[in-house]
Amino acid sequence: MSPALIAALPFLGSLLPALLIRTGRSHAAISAGVISGLALLGLLLNAPAILRGEVITARFDWLPWLGLNANFMIDGLGLLFASLILGIGLLIILYARFYLSKDDPVGQFYTYLLLFQGAMVGIVLSDNILLLLIFWELTSLSSFLLIGYWKHLPEGRQGARMALTVTGLGGLSMIAGMLILGNIAGSYDISAILQSKEAIQASPYYLPALILILGGAFTKSAQFPFHFWLPHAMAAPTPVSAYLHSATMVKAGLFLMARLWPVLSGTPEWFYIVATTGLVTMLVGAKIAIFKDDLKALLAFSTVSHLGLITFLLGLGTEAGAVAAVFHIINHATFKAALFMSAGIVDHETHTRDIKRLGGLRHLMPVTFTIATVAALSMAGIPLLNGFLSKEMMLEEASHTLWAGNGWIVPALAAIAALFSATYSFRYIAHAFLGPVRDDYPHKPHDPGFGMWAAPAFLVVLVVAIGIMPMTFAGPILEAAANAVVGGGLHMHPVKLWHGFTPALWMSVFAVVGGLVVLGQHRRLEALWLATPRPEAKAVFDALVGACVRGATRFTSALHNGSMARYLLIFVLAALAAGIWAWTTGEQGPPTRAMLPITPVAAAAWVTLLVATGCVVAYHRNRLLALVLISIVGLIVSLSFVYLSAPDLALTQISVEVVTAVLMLLALNFLPKITQPETRLIKRRFDALVAVAGGLGTGLLIYALMVRDFAFPTMSEYHLANSYKLGGGTNVVNVILVDFRGYDTFGEVIVLGIAALVIFALTEALLTGASSRKLIAWRPDVARAGDKHPLMLLVATRVMMPIALMMAVFIFLRGHNLPGGGFIAGLVAAIALVMQYMASGFAWTQARQKVYYHVLIALGVLAAGITGIGALFNGLPFLTSDFGYFRIPPFEKFELATAMGFDLGVFLGVVGSVMLALGGLSRLARRAAVGDEGFHVVAEKPEAREMAGHVPREVGLAGAMLRRQRKDGSEEGI
Amino acid sequence: MTSADFSTVLPEFLLALFAMVALLAGVWTGKDRVAGLVLWITVAVLVVLAAWIGLNGGGARQAFGGLFIDDAFARFSKVAILISAAAVLAMSADYMGRRGLLRFEYPILVALAVVGMMMMVSAGDLMALYMGLELQSLALYVVAALRRDSAKSSEAGLKYFVLGSLSSGLLLYGASLIYGFAGTTSFAGIITVVEEGHLPIGVLFGMVFMLVGLSFKVSAVPFHMWTPDVYEGSPTPVTAFFATAPKMAAMALLARLAHDAFGQVPGDWGQIIGLLAVASMLLGAVAAIGQRNIKRLMAYSSIAHMGFALLGLAAGTEEGVQAMLIYMAIYVTMNVGTFAFILSMERDGQPVTEIAALNLYARREPLKALAMLVLLFSLAGVPPMLGFFAKFAVLKAALTAGYVWLVVIGVISSVIGAFYYLRIVYFMYFGTETEALDTRMPAVQWALLMVSAFIMVAGVLNLFGVEGAAAAAASALVR
Repeated sequence: MSPALIAALPFLGSLLPALLIRTGRSHAAISAGVISGLALLGLLLNAPAILRGEVITARFDWLPWLGLNANFMIDGLGLLFASLILGIGLLIILYARFYLSKDDPVGQFYTYLLLFQGAMVGIVLSDNILLLLIFWELTSLSSFLLIGYWKHLPEGRQGARMALTVTGLGGLSMIAGMLILGNIAGSYDISAILQSKEAIQASPYYLPALILILGGAFTKSAQFPFHFWLPHAMAAPTPVSAYLHSATMVKAGLFLMARLWPVLSGTPEWFYIVATTGLVTMLVGAKIAIFKDDLKALLAFSTVSHLGLITFLLGLGTEAGAVAAVFHIINHATFKAALFMSAGIVDHETHTRDIKRLGGLRHLMPVTFTIATVAALSMAGIPLLNGFLSKEMMLEEASHTLWAGNGWIVPALAAIAALFSATYSFRYIAHAFLGPVRDDYPHKPHDPGFGMWAAPAFLVVLVVAIGIMPMTFAGPILEAAANAVVGGGLHMHPVKLWHGFTPALWMSVFAVVGGLVVLGQHRRLEALWLATPRPEAKAVFDALVGACVRGATRFTSALHNGSMARYLLIFVLAALAAGIWAWTTGEQGPPTRAMLPITPVAAAAWVTLLVATGCVVAYHRNRLLALVLISIVGLIVSLSFVYLSAPDLALTQISVEVVTAVLMLLALNFLPKITQPETRLIKRRFDALVAVAGGLGTGLLIYALMVRDFAFPTMSEYHLANSYKLGGGTNVVNVILVDFRGYDTFGEVIVLGIAALVIFALTEALLTGASSRKLIAWRPDVARAGDKHPLMLLVATRVMMPIALMMAVFIFLRGHNLPGGGFIAGLVAAIALVMQYMASGFAWTQARQKVYYHVLIALGVLAAGITGIGALFNGLPFLTSDFGYFRIPPFEKFELATAMGFDLGVFLGVVGSVMLALGGLSRLARRAAVGDEGFHVVAEKPEAREMAGHVPREVGLAGAMLRRQRKDGSEEGI
Repeated sequence: MTSADFSTVLPEFLLALFAMVALLAGVWTGKDRVAGLVLWITVAVLVVLAAWIGLNGGGARQAFGGLFIDDAFARFSKVAILISAAAVLAMSADYMGRRGLLRFEYPILVALAVVGMMMMVSAGDLMALYMGLELQSLALYVVAALRRDSAKSSEAGLKYFVLGSLSSGLLLYGASLIYGFAGTTSFAGIITVVEEGHLPIGVLFGMVFMLVGLSFKVSAVPFHMWTPDVYEGSPTPVTAFFATAPKMAAMALLARLAHDAFGQVPGDWGQIIGLLAVASMLLGAVAAIGQRNIKRLMAYSSIAHMGFALLGLAAGTEEGVQAMLIYMAIYVTMNVGTFAFILSMERDGQPVTEIAALNLYARREPLKALAMLVLLFSLAGVPPMLGFFAKFAVLKAALTAGYVWLVVIGVISSVIGAFYYLRIVYFMYFGTETEALDTRMPAVQWALLMVSAFIMVAGVLNLFGVEGAAAAAASALVR
């Protein structure tokens, strides 16, 4: 049968038990058994060929671009593991049929069991490490389900979580190791990887890959220091423990080490990591097992110990060690599964697993006693049983292993571990089965039916058979598997019962005798054990997890404390770091531009700029002062544009400065005049440091850019050359605005208008409802100046107004050829109007306003649009400008460009938008003022009531609002 | 503006037109009373556009002199964006409606954001890039603060806006440096300049600042600070939206900029992106451990996931881009399913976001719990769920490009990250007895949860052929 089909059978068949459970538990069990049996049969059909040394493969492309292929192979190692998984699986299915009660969800149990079985078979038959990874994590998942369905096990929860956490995370870490391995070998197929030992061991990434892969293997196989999860997982029902936690899943880690043994082993790193871990695990597991009172816990720790033994053997990196390891895998699977099942029988019959409440079962349960005794004696390493043989081989290997040049430490520790192992094995027999019959069992025990003891009995028969005639019963498969582990060319010495009086034999004798002695002193030792403090794995795990969670929480709450300032700080620091990185890695040519000579005027302006900037920071808590200082900065910037021959920019800058200053004045009106510091001085100092660093960085960058030529010609040259030729204007900036990039300007005018409308809408919303009441209740924190509309200012602005407007027209008209243009003209006109608002009051000005600003905006957009469309009639694309020269006597020849119409649109749009925005804000101020002074006086009038917040929504549109304001204004003007 | 230009941007044009028409129609008719109708029409429009773009193959086309590029890469990203946006909208209808949040602007803002995203992934020019980015961001700022009466939501929107403006400013600064030095704003022009050798320092600065600005949009560490607050503060459907389509768009834009404009110097940006990737993966994994709120947890989870996607991008190869696209497609699918579930978490009709509320959920709702188990395992990247293939693809691409240590750190952080996903599974299956959640779940959410979980399992067969489309997309981008 194809290996792929063998692996797929349990998956496909896993639905059957769930479906058949309605017809009875037996049918579900039989269907599961048939599936497993079929898979086992298919596997065994391949056995003769494999024992001859062939490798059976099946290859399917799955996701070739990822290197993931569904490649399966069966070699000796795969055959051994697959037959263990399927064979013991069959026995467990039989056992569970009788072990589980009517109330248990048996259908689900068999379904999950088959899923798990399929995943395990998949691991051992994969010929692709990614496929192996997938099956690997599938075992975690299915084992989680297998434990998770067992709902009436509160104490099992913690164990299940621990098992899933430890093995799942270990499996994930393996991904990186597998990736590196596959990358070195150039293929993710195991058969290909096994061929590239030299490349892998020579790679600098050998050690990381090794550690990551071992991380997965050690967690799965419960090696020290990850051994703690296994005993806690024992809360699962006994068939699950016997299958997952003794015979199969925990062996997956061993399988992986054995599978990759040819390429990973043989280095000092491998020896010191793997062999040491194995030895420590063997010792620690055995020691704890001696003092466990729960039968299953005892067996769990003994399993840990035996897994350590196998790891130790694999870690030696010798052929004989590999043979011994494979042999012990076979032996351990047989006797340990039998022991678990016998423990399950005891639990089932007496309703307790506490060894302290047992004893004397020999007379009540003779069959169980026989089975348990043979299996336990094998575990203790008594001759004529299979456990003796492989333990002897282990001790033999240990007896001549040097650890860091030391020849006695490994044999001594191995012998002590063997002694402990004998102790707990004897204890299992002596304290549970021997001794007098008691009369206080929770339930009167007797031997179960044949169905329940058949499976362990079969295994015990194997224990004895292999123990007496190892080469007959286990020889071929052992040789084939060991040959696969070492990568072929194995010279195996036949396993024999008698080797003469070797050191290993003496160590064995020491272990057994010592084991009996220690057992005799058990009571005293136990008192000592209980008195000495020892790390409780579960507590350590919980504390570790708790510490991680606390640490993570503290870290996160320190980082994400919700403070915007903190976020900005991190942002700026990171940007600074990025800038420094770019500065240090980039290539900087020498400066190519000379500095301009520094004139005294320029120096003075520069110093003023610096002082003003510094003062803004120092006095920013006084908001009005800060605004004044910022205006100084803006003024100097405008002047520097003049100095650097950019009059256009200067004009624009200065008018924008004025408008924004007025806007901010209006907004500041509502804010406290002084802000209080909210942070401590030290934090402010640090923030100042960061700010200075950021500013200096930006300044340095700009300086560095300015003293060097651009790497490539800029497009200014093009505009300078073509603005008169193509646009008919000598003011390049204006030509760009109205001609070359007319689309952008058109869009911007519209956006500006929309922005003004939005401000209007927002302020209108503030004039009603709760915010209106808030406004009326608002009191300035500083007393107002006495004179609301100073006469001097009033007269000056009224005189200025026509002049300013004339100026605007002038700037507008000259714009195409000389500094100026619609945008600047618009701002100047807006300033002229704003001055009236400031000096004479909103109401007075509003009353004299003939055109609504909404209309101005609309007219602006329309003018610009119509000019653009005009070009279409000329057969040119939208917004193409045209110009010509005309002479109307008595004037000089003058130029007319269609761009002027467009510029007019810009002018109108700017005036309308700025005024609408300012008007919106000043209405707020006025509302507050009305509440302050004249509210009661004007409250009698219906219009004023509307103002006070009872604006009917349906008429609350812009026009209505304006009308209303004009009426108010006429009554309240100066 | 020729008709060829126009036909190339037709999907974007139609969607923008739809948004404006819907806005006007909404204002003039029933306003919020027609919100449900507008929402479902928007969903339909998005799905139709996705189908149209997805089925409409063909080579690369350009419009408006290279400002706009329509190639396999753009189409792949657009389909993912459109479908995820449609899915999120569809599952939010019930949630928003029952909490009085279903304003008619909501679907329109989403549609406008999607127009911006489509523009972003098709940008062939710094101008187009910025335009798309800002259109998206402005719409997102508003939806983040959609729940105006909640201080948390307003604060989230404000934080997002301020930090977003800062990042936009930095991005613009970078763009202007690039323009100043390269003398052009088009990617095709920049790459010819860059081709002439090592980056001049001005362009390097420009590139670094643009990367910083875009990192903010993909919420890569250390520019991620807004993410947890905004995820927590926004209404859950908005959070779901944040976690899906915009991430896809920003990631695609980053790839577009890196390869189209700076494809000649992958080493220069590969380092930065690699660093961002590592920081994101680690921080996302570590910070999520202590979270008790599932929305904050998903924020950190998305940070970590972005780290992985960036890892693929850092490789600087065609394989890397392909892996990144596959990663993003799978990520978006997982998130849609997970958020469909989170949306249904409520007790007595009130939304619940505490993870502890999921205690023993499996006992009451075995099917939904199983679907969540699949999704969470997939998010953790545990084989054989689809999430594993996504992670594996990017790790492999990074490894092939020589970033061994990035891969190792990536795997370690995925191990740390798996812890908190598994903890939720643990709560659902083994937790302690607590007050039960409501079992009510609208059909749309149920369907999306189940479909998403099904994809995570069934997708392992052949990834539904996504890797072919991603390969075509990657080869269109990396030349």
